[in-house]
Amino acid sequence: MKRALVRFCGLATIALFAAPLAAQRTHVLIITGLGGEPQYSARFVEQGRALHELARTQWRVADSSLVWLAEDPTRDPSRIRARSTRDAVNEAFLGLSRRVSPGDVLVVMLIGHGSGEGAASKVNLPGADPTAADYADWLTGFARQTVVFVNSASASGDFVAQLRGDARVIVTATRGPFERNETVFGTYFVRGLTSAEADANKDGRVSVLEAFTYATQEVARVYASEQRLLTEHALVSDSTLAARVAFGGVAASDDPRVVALVAERQALEQQLTVLRGRKESMAPAAYEQELERLLVAIAEKSQEIRAAGGRP
Amino acid sequence: MTARPVRSRVGVLVRRDGRPALALVCAVFLVACAPEPAVAQQDVRAAVEEIADAGRLADAEAMARASGAPAAVVLAELLVKRGRLAAADSVARSRAALDGPDGRSARVLSAELAMRRGDRAAALQAAAALTGEYQRSSTGWSARDRVAAGRAYLLLAERDADAVRAALRAFDAASASDPALVDAELRAADLLLEKYNAPDAKRSYEAVLARREGHPRALLGLARVEEFAGSGEALAVARAALNGNPALTEAHVLVARLYLEAESDDSAQVAARRALAVDSSAVDAWAVVGAVAWLRGDSTGFAQARAAAERLNPRPARFYVTLADAAARQRRYADAGRFSARALELDSLLVPALGALGTNQLRAGDIAGGREYIERAFELDPFNLWHKNTLDLLDHLATFRTSTLGRFEFVAPERESEVLLPYLSPLLEEAYDKLAARYDYRPPTPVRMEIFERHADFSVRTVGLTGLGALGVSFGRVLAMDAPSARERGSFNWGSTAWHELAHTFTLGLSGNRVPRWFSEGVSVLEERRARAGWGADVSPAFVAALREGTLRPVSTLNDGFVRPRNPGEVLLSYYQASLVCEMIEAEFGVPALGAMLRAWGEGLETPAVFARVLQVDEAAMDKRFSDWLAARFRGRIDPDTLRNDAALEPLLERVSAAEQRKDDAALVDALERIVWIWPYDQDVHIKLAEAYERLGNPGRVVRERRAVIALGASDPLEARYQLARALLAAGDRAGARREVLGVLERAPTFERAQGLLLELRAPQPDGGAR
Repeated sequence: MKRALVRFCGLATIALFAAPLAAQRTHVLIITGLGGEPQYSARFVEQGRALHELARTQWRVADSSLVWLAEDPTRDPSRIRARSTRDAVNEAFLGLSRRVSPGDVLVVMLIGHGSGEGAASKVNLPGADPTAADYADWLTGFARQTVVFVNSASASGDFVAQLRGDARVIVTATRGPFERNETVFGTYFVRGLTSAEADANKDGRVSVLEAFTYATQEVARVYASEQRLLTEHALVSDSTLAARVAFGGVAASDDPRVVALVAERQALEQQLTVLRGRKESMAPAAYEQELERLLVAIAEKSQEIRAAGGRP
Repeated sequence: MTARPVRSRVGVLVRRDGRPALALVCAVFLVACAPEPAVAQQDVRAAVEEIADAGRLADAEAMARASGAPAAVVLAELLVKRGRLAAADSVARSRAALDGPDGRSARVLSAELAMRRGDRAAALQAAAALTGEYQRSSTGWSARDRVAAGRAYLLLAERDADAVRAALRAFDAASASDPALVDAELRAADLLLEKYNAPDAKRSYEAVLARREGHPRALLGLARVEEFAGSGEALAVARAALNGNPALTEAHVLVARLYLEAESDDSAQVAARRALAVDSSAVDAWAVVGAVAWLRGDSTGFAQARAAAERLNPRPARFYVTLADAAARQRRYADAGRFSARALELDSLLVPALGALGTNQLRAGDIAGGREYIERAFELDPFNLWHKNTLDLLDHLATFRTSTLGRFEFVAPERESEVLLPYLSPLLEEAYDKLAARYDYRPPTPVRMEIFERHADFSVRTVGLTGLGALGVSFGRVLAMDAPSARERGSFNWGSTAWHELAHTFTLGLSGNRVPRWFSEGVSVLEERRARAGWGADVSPAFVAALREGTLRPVSTLNDGFVRPRNPGEVLLSYYQASLVCEMIEAEFGVPALGAMLRAWGEGLETPAVFARVLQVDEAAMDKRFSDWLAARFRGRIDPDTLRNDAALEPLLERVSAAEQRKDDAALVDALERIVWIWPYDQDVHIKLAEAYERLGNPGRVVRERRAVIALGASDPLEARYQLARALLAAGDRAGARREVLGVLERAPTFERAQGLLLELRAPQPDGGAR
């Protein structure tokens, strides 16, 4: 009985982590706030632009589902939809809530300078600043979607408690309201999403958790190389869901031959998972021999998929 | 397994609140209940002491003798100060037998004298009897009696830390009983300082000086505090003490020791002789005399000093501890170890000897042996900060990875080993070969190199305390240095530093550790400059200024620039100047001259004799020769472009950009390699190097760089390992490549490029083999 239960749990875990959110449509709202100084304004625009470009070209987000609000729309008029005022943010959420379908993914990225005070935590925007409570209200319109909400501003940690909920991943650059120094997390989180570097399992897709892990690692590296005390500690609210929400990659082929080959390869991958689980109990040479046999089989299967016109 | 003492914290000797309230209450009670002291006796004693404190010992002795029995103890103490120990003991014993008001002072003095002449059993027995009485009841004990109890506790303290605290309490109780008795306050302060609580000691000395301006013993205490702090003011304060009391033997000894530390042997000798003129029984002074004689190779003088010490105490362990300290300061670590071992043969419980032997074994690379002695020292004296720090460091050192590569044994934290050794090992092998060829000498191997990621650890390894400014140190076959991560980014060139320290291994070894500091540093800096273009100290603005102002030292006093610098910047200046002297010697007297000089020092010759034999010049001629050479070398304007810093990153980063723009891989590699020797922790630098070496067709270097990226915790670990697998394959290591790629695919089975590499590795080989 115990053995059966363990096997069941193992398979459930495989399914949970291996399957990307199938057939998801992604909607993206990017909000860049006041820079205060030219260097910050430029950095915020740069991050917004990178994310916008990624969403458009690699995530294939429809123009109508891709909204960027910024301090100064003239800095990139072709991409920036409007000035990032409270009203514009409100309108953007409303508009997207009308477009989403159940099972879709909404990505909200807040970039700017922040201040933390529980529900009143905010990111500085032109005019009146929306609070974390406002964002919580706006997100109620996405109860049947998966929401990824990223606040890369300083003192952003309180957003986690204010926004967390079912089917939501909340990412903040700091772990509380008292880490008030300028953050660099946003730069590396966006870089993680936009480059293959963060793709830890090399499956061609970057999950929110992979981007988060990459960013935290790079932030630590930057502080260490500058011999500064780390003053920002990022948070992620639900790492299980964050591992499942992944972006990028190409849709699977409908060709039955390819589908069959992919299924065969998945079976080999499952064998590999089982083998890895037995690693500690096996003689190293035997493990290595079996590992190589399976990996070669998977590699050859990938070749067959490509030859059949599919994409591994 | 050796039992280790509990070392959660070092013992700290402190007063609970300066003056315990209980002591004050007792003091009031004592005034009421104690037998009335003999007023006449106190007056006589105070008068005699005042004359003695002014240094008029003969007058004081005459007065004490004239005063008869009431002045017996003070007479005995005066006789001790004048080195007439047997007479002092006789007087003290007579007085002790009478059980008079100062009988306890007489008893403890007698016990102290027994200890000085090596009769430890008698000393401890007498001390234990006195402290036993004190513990049973101190009612009726006068302030001086309490001081006597404190002194008795100190005699017992060498194997009992509680006795140290009891001694302090007794001195404090004495002060509370009679605030005018500065002897109690000063003894408490001396004890605090001896147990490394310099701040409290300083406060006590200053409190005495506030009441008794210019008090010589208080000034002497302050001088010792300055010495403890390494402030450089110690000598001046000690001299001030001697102005007040020219017969203060301990102040003369301190002056002698300070001179010895500064390698001013003549002055040390003079000061020690002055001490002995006052008190011929001062073993510490004889030890300085012996040390100077030994350093000069004067076997007759050394034997005389040793005989004098042995006459005073047949087992003069402290004499050998002083010799060990002097030897270690002159970098003669093996001799230092031998002297401290001899001290331990004479007194197995002597903490400074245990510490010195342990420290010197650590310097020789015997970590287990050194640790054992320092553990024993710390068990006996839990107040010793040096030993506590060292033991903590050894605990930390035990977590380091030891890697034996070629002729070197590297001991470093794991990450530093991974990152640094692929560069450091070949560099030091190259250095060893070049230095061995140049000096025709091959130091014994393996040479041990310890690398510390925290500067405080390196500092403790070197001097037992934090705060050392140096980057590296050479004990001969054991080298230690900061890892680049221990310092601010771009603050030093670690390759150059390692080369410098290894050069010391050659100069120390070739000269039997007798090479003077200036010459050893000069050779090391010169060798740095030869190692790589841009390495090693070079012309600096400070040097240019000193050259123009004529403030550079002549060769004959160049060593003072290291051991007695006139200002903090002079040491750095002296490194460069010393390297110029070595450069000049090579240019003017031939390349073999440097090695010949080292060998001459190794034969025990003094520097003037080395000049005479090898260079056929005397010191004055050498000074002039260097001065002329320097003038010629720097004639005319100094090109500002030559003012450079071998750890400056910015110019190198600019060179990287320029080389990238020109697509000049050779220049790119050159600039990036230089950056690695300054800051090896930037993975982008290693990725660029790997790519450039790949383009240049140097697969071995590609492998090195790919490994560095992984060691630095690659941003994309699987990509980094895949790249390493590719590099290994290119370098002909198919087994290594297969191992890496399997590791990658184990984690990411659908990683397309890695799959391709795995299949490529399994493809049949042109020679007919497969896999």
